[in-house]
Amino acid sequence: MTYAVLLPLMCLTVAAGQEHGGGTNRPASRADVEAGAKTFRSHCAVCHGPHGEGGRGPNLANGQFYHGSSDADLLENISKGIPSTEMPGLFYSADRIRQIIAYIRSLNSAAGVKPGGQPSEGAALVRSRGCLQCHRISGEGGRLGPDLTSIGQMRSPEYLRQSIVDPDADINPRFKTVSFRDDSGTRYQGFLMNEDTYTVQLLDTHEQLHSFAKAELSNYKIEDKSPMPSYKSTLSDAQLQDVVAYLSSLRPQGGRR
Amino acid sequence: MKTRLFAFVAFMAVPPQFALQAQVSYERLLNAATDPGNWLMYSGSYSSWRYSTLDQVRRENVNRLKVKWVYQMPTTNVVETTPLVVDGVMYITEPPSNVVALDAVTGRAYWRYRRALPDKINVCCGQVNRGVAVAGDRVFLGTVDAHLLALDAKTGAVLWDTEVADYRTGHSVTVAPLPIKDMIICGVSGGEYGIRGFLDAYDQKTGKRRWRFWTVPDPGQPGSGTWSGAAWKTGGGPTWVTGSYDPQLNLIIWGTGNPSPDWNGDSRPGDNLYTDSAIALDADTGQLKWHFQFIPHDVHDWDAVQVPVLVDDEWQGHPRKLVYWAHRGGFYYVLDRETGKFLFGTPFAKQTWAKGLDPAGRPIRLPNIDPTPEGTMLWPGVQGATNWYSPSYNPVDKLFYLTVWENRGLFLKGEQEYSPGNRYIGSVPTIDLPNDPGHGAIRALNPKNGERVWDYPLLTKPTAGVLSTAGKLVFGGSDEDYLFALDAQTGRELWRQNTGGMIRASPMTYLSRGRQVVAVAAGSAIFAFDLTESQ
Repeated sequence: MTYAVLLPLMCLTVAAGQEHGGGTNRPASRADVEAGAKTFRSHCAVCHGPHGEGGRGPNLANGQFYHGSSDADLLENISKGIPSTEMPGLFYSADRIRQIIAYIRSLNSAAGVKPGGQPSEGAALVRSRGCLQCHRISGEGGRLGPDLTSIGQMRSPEYLRQSIVDPDADINPRFKTVSFRDDSGTRYQGFLMNEDTYTVQLLDTHEQLHSFAKAELSNYKIEDKSPMPSYKSTLSDAQLQDVVAYLSSLRPQGGRR
Repeated sequence: MKTRLFAFVAFMAVPPQFALQAQVSYERLLNAATDPGNWLMYSGSYSSWRYSTLDQVRRENVNRLKVKWVYQMPTTNVVETTPLVVDGVMYITEPPSNVVALDAVTGRAYWRYRRALPDKINVCCGQVNRGVAVAGDRVFLGTVDAHLLALDAKTGAVLWDTEVADYRTGHSVTVAPLPIKDMIICGVSGGEYGIRGFLDAYDQKTGKRRWRFWTVPDPGQPGSGTWSGAAWKTGGGPTWVTGSYDPQLNLIIWGTGNPSPDWNGDSRPGDNLYTDSAIALDADTGQLKWHFQFIPHDVHDWDAVQVPVLVDDEWQGHPRKLVYWAHRGGFYYVLDRETGKFLFGTPFAKQTWAKGLDPAGRPIRLPNIDPTPEGTMLWPGVQGATNWYSPSYNPVDKLFYLTVWENRGLFLKGEQEYSPGNRYIGSVPTIDLPNDPGHGAIRALNPKNGERVWDYPLLTKPTAGVLSTAGKLVFGGSDEDYLFALDAQTGRELWRQNTGGMIRASPMTYLSRGRQVVAVAAGSAIFAFDLTESQ
């Protein structure tokens, strides 16, 4: 992370312990955030990404944590590690770990800025513009695009906006399309659900599952382009904000948060 | 009751000499290559060919190979163990640091040693273990809390428990130890935690340390001039993959790992000996006889944690003791085993970081290959063109088999700050590029010139070693869950089995009541295969 990026985040620092509970937490200072950021880059970014955006480990920037969201939870998880995961414990003092938490909270506060726009308007647009022909939300809709039921937790508003205007920017490998002919000459096309050296599994455009031995196929081709059209010219800026606001509001229900 | 007591007394009256005889003598270990019914050490023999003279399973019948038994482990850690088999008993490690003795015929357990571990242990790449050693009546285990233990081979009882190093400073033991004479040789992990690496020898009977060779020398010692300031104290050079042994030369040949921190070398200018090196140590004293450094001042984590393959063969018309070594940086090397002299080297996979090797074997680096904050793209990637996965040497066809990754990676340079027990790597490595993950292969090389003889391409990059046999077969595995058998001369696939779990270990073979079995760890299980019908 460059300091040019980091400084605005520091300005958004939330006093650790004031909003998140967790016992005897002291308010975090700007110096704490800066020190925590440095430790984060050295020890945490390997798995959680330089900006906490996630990678081998989960996204820490969006304020959603699977193993407890309070400062006390984070302190315990960082100092002791999380059993049955690859998360190790750090050999640091509690004060130094609190600096890391302060930095994570600074990311969370940035992520917590709600996108402008009206979620209710966005929900109407998602239905009227045909998004549910391919996408599914809470069991309603199609299966030819990513399920959006919890997309607000998994993706930032910026990412969602980019996906709508430029679907090719980042394609989940699960939604790449594959096409080929089998040994009878029949052509198949669908979403590449899985493949290995010898076999391929796909969901075709009729939402049917198929599995083939690759040795029986010809003209095997995987497309790196998304079948989703860009909505750059078909949604106004305000409408785009509404849709992003709605998608950002889609979060899982229940569980320890 | 009286009858039972009589029977017990009669049982106890069996002459004790059988029980008192050490089961795995040093003589047996020296001759492990000619004892194919057993698998007595990590790579099968001191020369580390991972080759078996068993030929019941061969090209003509390998398609009849079926599952004989499966042993499931209660673990969520990656299983990297190579099973050992001694007289019908299979010894395996269950990660993180447990040992189980199985009936090699049925897969049923005789005993389990379960290691109680501290709550917080940092191991860079998962709490793994690559296997045990067996010598005498003892089983030797390294643990992720950096201890070395001797267990009773019949019961699993702890005979001694020695601390190798302090786990709270990032040390751990994941390597399968190597028994030599009355010693047990043990390496250490921790190259991502700024340890100072070493290779140790311990007394098999007492657990007392006989010698230690520091892979990063003390100030004033030979090689110390390749370090600056206090960097040697946290210089890395771990020894986490089992090496080889030449009994005639009494030399231990072992690979060393990366200097620390991995991807930022600013704090450690110099060649950083003896990291990323082959080291040859006198087995009795631990004194360095020679070394060959594959990559001076490594900043890509292309460490030399490969299994050295020791071969006696003609070299340019004269008999010579050789070491074959396919290194993580993408070059294949031939070294003289008596002197460490570089004899030959050539790329075995795509690489974009070196123009070649100079006459001494030192890489001729291309410009602009060091990691940067923005990232430097190079072949091979962070995991290298091969890694710790065992190679195999077939002495009949004289081919060298190995697991290959053909992929590139983005090398990022980051901040580094040492603190005991925490990561000290100086980067955020990008192992896989989302839209260009690369692919893998099992590759056969002519070991005399490094030329490719055949290739068995895989869609994904495998993390399993290979085994070759006198049945003209090469067995390998993949992250796609398959164990497969290839024609050793052509690479043609002859058989494969989906095990349902990633294979991140190296296969081995043994005899079970006279029938050949091929075994491998897959997922969290050990799979044993044999031919279902008479041959």
